[in-house]
Formats: sequence, structure tokens, C-alpha cells
Amino acid sequence: MEIKNIKSTNIPAFFDQLIQSGKVVIAPVLKKSGKVFFEAVQSYSQVATEYIQTGFSAKSVVFPKVEVLFSFQKTEEGIEIKDSITNIPETVVWGLRPCDGSAFNYMTEFFLKENPDAYYAARKERTTLIAVSCAKADEACFCTSVDLNPGSTSGSDILLTLMGEDTYVEVMTEKGKAAVDISGSLFTVSEEKNKEEYLAKIDVKFSMDEIKEKIKTSYNSAEWKNESMGCFGCGACAFSCPTCTCFDIQDEGTQNKGLRLRCWDACGFGLFTKHNSGHNPRKNQTERRRQRLMHKFKYSVENLGIVSCVGCGRCIRVCPAHLNIFENILSVTK
Amino acid sequence: MTPLQTKVAELFENGTINLMIGFKSAVNKLPVPFFLENASLVEQLIFTPACKGNLAVYLHKPEVKQAKKVGLLANVATLRSLVQLTSENQLSDIEKTVITINAQNEVVVFENMDEVEVYVQANFPEYTDEDKKLLEQLNAMTRAERWQYWTDQFSACVKCYACRAVCPMCYCSSCTVECNQPQWIKVSSETTGNLEWHTTRAMHLAGRCINCGECGRICPVGIPVHLLTAQMNLDIEKEFGAKTGFSCTSGYALNTFKPGDKEQFIK
Repeated sequence: MEIKNIKSTNIPAFFDQLIQSGKVVIAPVLKKSGKVFFEAVQSYSQVATEYIQTGFSAKSVVFPKVEVLFSFQKTEEGIEIKDSITNIPETVVWGLRPCDGSAFNYMTEFFLKENPDAYYAARKERTTLIAVSCAKADEACFCTSVDLNPGSTSGSDILLTLMGEDTYVEVMTEKGKAAVDISGSLFTVSEEKNKEEYLAKIDVKFSMDEIKEKIKTSYNSAEWKNESMGCFGCGACAFSCPTCTCFDIQDEGTQNKGLRLRCWDACGFGLFTKHNSGHNPRKNQTERRRQRLMHKFKYSVENLGIVSCVGCGRCIRVCPAHLNIFENILSVTK
Repeated sequence: MTPLQTKVAELFENGTINLMIGFKSAVNKLPVPFFLENASLVEQLIFTPACKGNLAVYLHKPEVKQAKKVGLLANVATLRSLVQLTSENQLSDIEKTVITINAQNEVVVFENMDEVEVYVQANFPEYTDEDKKLLEQLNAMTRAERWQYWTDQFSACVKCYACRAVCPMCYCSSCTVECNQPQWIKVSSETTGNLEWHTTRAMHLAGRCINCGECGRICPVGIPVHLLTAQMNLDIEKEFGAKTGFSCTSGYALNTFKPGDKEQFIK
């Protein structure tokens, strides 16, 4: 790790030089709806700075909502199949929060640990994550309960922390170093500083160790029903989640040509586990919501050794029923 | 205990209800749907102006249908949903006790749907100023501009189907988007398919939407999707004189024929 300093007034110059270097830069943009979403931008002037969290996470950069896996076409010689992993641009995600940065740790384990996914690998390899630590938080934020904090560097290539006139730059990886080198003259070497006073204060809602232990025996808790009755069974939580990785493979096309697609899916949908026979092993919303929460706090720990909730709070903010994941978890493990 | 809590406790006590659907306050201060099977937690029950959610949607839930005797805390939009659902014969299998708090801050327990209908007609909600303004802006556009507006909006849709999930009028046990033989609407989220989904949904709700605005309010992307059906309702009211969620018996404008109708094709 290298620690650097950049004058806060030079941030726009650094940002614009990243764009001029030919990279696609994805950054938070304030939309007409008043919500902030990641999208490709052309200049720093488009970037939102006053936001606690983006509406959706940056996962679509490595796991798009719809991804073409390959195309197929009938020809006179037979069937021609064309791979789609070509021309993936070098991409920078700017302004993601530390929780989102750490979400990429889980994503990478999930997609690359066993049977590495070539599509994810190709995108992740070309993606540089420049996170900005959180000076503000809201009541939905709970990163400090899942062993992260508003200044966590885990998963990010660079973490920027605004300290008034100066911005503290933690360069975590070679990719981060390469990004900083693009604007080398803007950065100076810095001594290690304590970020604490520049970070949001977020109450710890629960002890992760305790939850990990208690959730092992919570499968049959009666509280699952109480906590899930309000769940409408939409995909808002899963689609906004930085670590939800479920997908649905679809073929779209005509008799002669088509595309094989990987589309976001959600375990909260009734259709997700429904068999062709009509039988549904997760027969009600209680069982579906239990699956989602148990996956975050139990199954991913068992399978990959990682709690796959990063406390970003998006599912709480978008839930049409205002269901609250940390309240739900506390309730089923009490 | 508040008068509402006392009343609900009483309804459990005398066996009128065995399930109450209301609201409670969550840590983040937003009202959460609250399902009570007895009076033990009744003191958590709240009903504030922030309780905008439309709880009528839960009456389609199998667990709620099984409860048979259901108490439902209703704002005016929810009451309107109940009226519309009754006119569509969707609530006959549930014995329901509907409760509201009126403008005088009194707890009202409706005896039957006729009373709900009277209450709804006396308190019939207007379009909000914000929706009126947005509809005016949309109507002032040319057709091409309006198409562009909705194309832009729906290009951001991720097909989470939250708009469908929160809608008490979307009660089909199997939605058209879940049909894949044939696949009417693509599973993938892309602009054309998203437009197909939203226009299909709007057409299914034309003259049935009760303007609660919940679909637009909860869209995680911020698409004002409720404006489509809100405009449809205005058109249907203009053409057929029918208001949605206004009468338990009037039927649905688009599948009801009356001898006095101005259309000639059926005569």
C-alpha cells in the first residue's frame, strides 16, 4: 500500500485525466428523480458529490443486468457461435463507497473461486475501483455491524478520504497505482494519517460473530414469518444489492439467430424456484426471504467464508414495505 | 393505548378478527406493514399520515386468505382499492373488518362494504398537485416527445417488478411476464421489452387503477410509472363517466356494456 496526498481542488483534474487516458469512467450522477445512480460520464462536472449512497451498486460494471454470453446463427455450414468477450474497455468506477468496494471481494470469490467465470474475470480485470470514504451516513447504513467501516479499504484499488483542503489517498493495489500514475504530478507522498474524524459515525447494530453463531440454528425460528409477511416478493432488494449474484440464462432470437443472455434474477421472486411441474420448493414469501437473508449471513459464510452483506443499506432504502434487514436478522437470532 | 389499539384489542377479544394487518414503526422511522395474530403486540400498532402504503395488496396473499377473519387498517387509497376489488368480485372469500381513522381523528370500523363505499365517495381523493403538474407537462408534449420521455424513463427499468408487487389491482395468480410458452415479453431488461411490460401493465390497469400512486412512489429507479395509469383513468372517466374505486357494483368500464353507451359497434 502507498499513501499519497492530493489537493482537493485537484480532484477534478485527476478525474478528467482518467477520462482523457481513454478509460470509461462510471461515477455517481444525480438524476431528475432526485436519486443518484452510477453512469458513464465525460467530465467531473457531471459527478454528484452530495450523496450518502447510490441507488444501485456498481456491480453492473462486472455483472451487467443483461449480459450477452454469445450469439448464434444458422449458416449454410451449420451453426456459427460468436463469443462476446471482446472489446471490454478499461473502466474506472469512481465514488463508490467502501462497503461497495468490499462487496467486490465477495463477487470475485463467487464468480472466480470454483469454475471461474470468464465474463466476470474479463470485466473485473479491466476495472479499477476508486472509492470515496463516507463523511455522512443515514439510518439505513450498518457497515460497522458487518465488520466494515466508512473508511474500509478492503476490495477497493484506491480509497480517497476528503480532509478539507487535502484528500488522503490510500493506494491499495497495482491497478490503483497505475491510475494514480496517470496524474503522477498531482500527488505527493503523505505520512499515515488517522481518518477517524473525517468519517461518518455509524452505530453498531449487532455483533457479527454473535449473529454468525446464532443464525446457524435460526432456520426454524417463528420470527421468519413475522419478519417476512410484509415482503411483496419484488426484486428491488436483490437488484440494488452489491452482492446479489443470482442470474437467469435466457435465449432471445428468431429461428435463425439469437443471443444467449445472462439476466439478473432474484430469489425473492416466486418464479425463481418454481419447477416446470408447478411445484415450488420455496412455496411462500417467508421461505424466499429467509433464503435471501440466510444466504447473506450463513450460506455464503459456509461456502466462501465471507458474510455477503456489506451493510450498504440499499435494500432498506428501496424496500416498498420498508423491511429492514438488520432488524430482521436481529429478530430471527434473538 | 390509543383508541385504535383499544379497538383492535377488542376485535381480537370478541373473535371478530384473527389477523390484523396494520402498520408499526421501524428503527428507521418508516411505517412497516404489521401482521398481528393476537392482541399481545397491539401497542405497537400505529396509523400516521406517513402510513401511505396500500395494505389491500396483502388480501391476495395465501397466508392472509387462510386467516379468514381479517382486520385491515386502511387509508383512503386502501379503501378505494377495496371498493374496486369488490366490484371485481375479488374479496368474497375473506371476512374482513375494515378500520380507518377519519379526519376528526376518530376510529371508524366499517360494518360492511356499503359503508366503505359511502365513506370513499365522501372522501374521494383528488390527484395530488405534483401529479397534476406532471400530467400537464406530459400532455403538453407532442406525441414524439412523450414517446421519448417514456423511452428514456423505461430504459432505466431493471424489471424488479416492485410496481406490480405493491399493486392491489395486480392480482393475477400468474402474470403475463411469467408466461414463456409463448414468451410475450422478454425476460431481459432492455428498453423495448421494458416498454412492452409497462404498456401491458398500464393497459391491464386502465380504468382499474385506484391512483394510490404506490408504484411510482416505490420504484427503486424513480420512474413515475403511476402517471401512465393515472392518465388512463382520466381518459376513461372522460369517455365512460366511470371513476375507479368509486362504486362496489358499477363494474369495470371496459368490460361493461350499457344500452345507452355511445358506441354503435355492438348494437
